[in-house]
Amino acid sequence: MTPIIPEDIVTLATDMFPRIITSIVLLLILIGLSYWQRIEMEKLFLISFTRGLIQIILMATILIVIFELQNLWILYIILLFMCSFAAITAKRRFPYPNIFQIELFSITVGSISVMTFVMIVEIIPTEGTYIIPMGGMVIANVMVMTTIVLERIVADVKKSKGIIEAALALGDTPWNAVRSITRDSFRAGLLPSTNRVAVLGIVTIPGLMSGMIIGGINPIEAAIYQVIIFLMILVGGFIGELIIGFFFIKELFTTEDQLRLALIN
Amino acid sequence: MSNTFNEPECPFCLRNIFYQINSKRILTDINIRIERSGITGIVGPSGSGKSTLLRLLNKLVSPSEGRILLEGQDYNTIPVRELRKRIGLVQQRPYLFPGTVRYNLQYGPKIWEVTHSEETLVDLLTRVALQKEFLDRDVDGLSGGEQQRVSLARSLANKPSVLLLDEPTSSLDIVSEEIIENTVKDLARDGTKIIIVTHSLEQTRRLTDHLLFLKEGRLIETVPTASFFEKYNEEEIRGFFKAKTKEDSL
Ligand SMILES: Nc1ncnc2c1ncn2[C@@H]1O[C@H](COP(=O)(O)OP(=O)(O)OP(=O)(O)O)[C@@H](O)[C@H]1O
Ligand SMILES: [Mg+2]
Repeated sequence: MTPIIPEDIVTLATDMFPRIITSIVLLLILIGLSYWQRIEMEKLFLISFTRGLIQIILMATILIVIFELQNLWILYIILLFMCSFAAITAKRRFPYPNIFQIELFSITVGSISVMTFVMIVEIIPTEGTYIIPMGGMVIANVMVMTTIVLERIVADVKKSKGIIEAALALGDTPWNAVRSITRDSFRAGLLPSTNRVAVLGIVTIPGLMSGMIIGGINPIEAAIYQVIIFLMILVGGFIGELIIGFFFIKELFTTEDQLRLALIN
Repeated sequence: MSNTFNEPECPFCLRNIFYQINSKRILTDINIRIERSGITGIVGPSGSGKSTLLRLLNKLVSPSEGRILLEGQDYNTIPVRELRKRIGLVQQRPYLFPGTVRYNLQYGPKIWEVTHSEETLVDLLTRVALQKEFLDRDVDGLSGGEQQRVSLARSLANKPSVLLLDEPTSSLDIVSEEIIENTVKDLARDGTKIIIVTHSLEQTRRLTDHLLFLKEGRLIETVPTASFFEKYNEEEIRGFFKAKTKEDSL
């Protein structure tokens, strides 16, 4: 991803014209499919892509500055900003009490802990060039994994509220009563990334690695980096999942071990 | 709202109980003194709040207002899990844990670090009119009535001192129903307090010692069963059982 510095806006615009058209056509197909299948995601697609486009163009233009950053504090602040943004996005989809705090905490602890670990063992240089794209990848994945966990817990608790209450009625703890549900949700969250690792190099040719190779880094070194990133994603994601699972289950039950039915209905 | 003074003279009492969900009133100002022993029947039309009352007694939900006393102790002063073990609930619909019947029967005891012997498990099945072959059956393949009986046996395995039964024979044939009713009577005779929700006039007559009538979330009558059948004539009795079962209307 090289930053574009528009020297000649006119040639740029004509160059980009086919790409813009292609994007619009693809987006329209996506929206059309959604409309056809009544999955009610048209508006969400439109908003996310418009927002995403603006964000990434802004990012592209300031990337040069960020990449040159070497101050650890500022790098951490940027990572935290990314985590907050991810948490806000995740929160919008789950109208439960304290969900922003829970999301923020799980995403931040999950991703920052693995980032800090690889910096401490000096596997990656503490430079914006490495920290920011890697951090971004880890944070985005941890966010996705934590929301899968939430989604799954809500759906399964809704489906099995009778069984959960049957366990409670016998004197069981809420944790025990939902154990198989949380376990399944952790698995569901980890599965997509795990699948991508399984086809790594054959189907998945990660952008970061390609960029490094193009940038002149030894291909084997770049490949090992990529594997490390996937491990970071899975470890950070698992940590984030555990945290979000813990706090969300706490929200789902009262201090008297009663299932808050109103919350999930 | 509720204070937590204990009242030693109260065996099992509900005091000014209100319960609402999303500002919708489900139970209104319920005051009952439930007798320490015997079988208490709860009767009332569909939607009158019978199941909700049992859920309150098992503390799956807490009242919005009012207090419940058990052996003179306020519900809020009893550790909730201990309370639920003491006051077993058989839900209206059998929500069994995925797995075998054996797993379901051992579930409650396991929470309390008890493992029942094979003999005890078979005895539990017998009491709900199931043969010992059912122990290793997967609950997935059970019929509705079999599930209902496993659900009852699962609660019995926890040896509660009060047993709340929510229409426990609603999908059973006459033979199984009779076996279950005898089990319930045996339990009551051995000192287990039974509170049973039923729609059946006949079952009420056969089983209960006391009756509570609910209507639209309010308690409209509490009466010993014997006096009930003396006090009211046939037509009035039918009136109390408006939402009667097919069995009764025959
Ligand atoms: N979670 C809930 N949300 C909203 N309303 C509820 C909820 N639970 C119960 N109710 C309402 O409370 C009322 C009493 O329900 P309850 O299940 O206690 O009735 P019931 O007397 O057991 O009826 P039935 O004989 O049909 O089993 C009903 O009107 C029901 O719709
Ligand atoms: Mg009911």
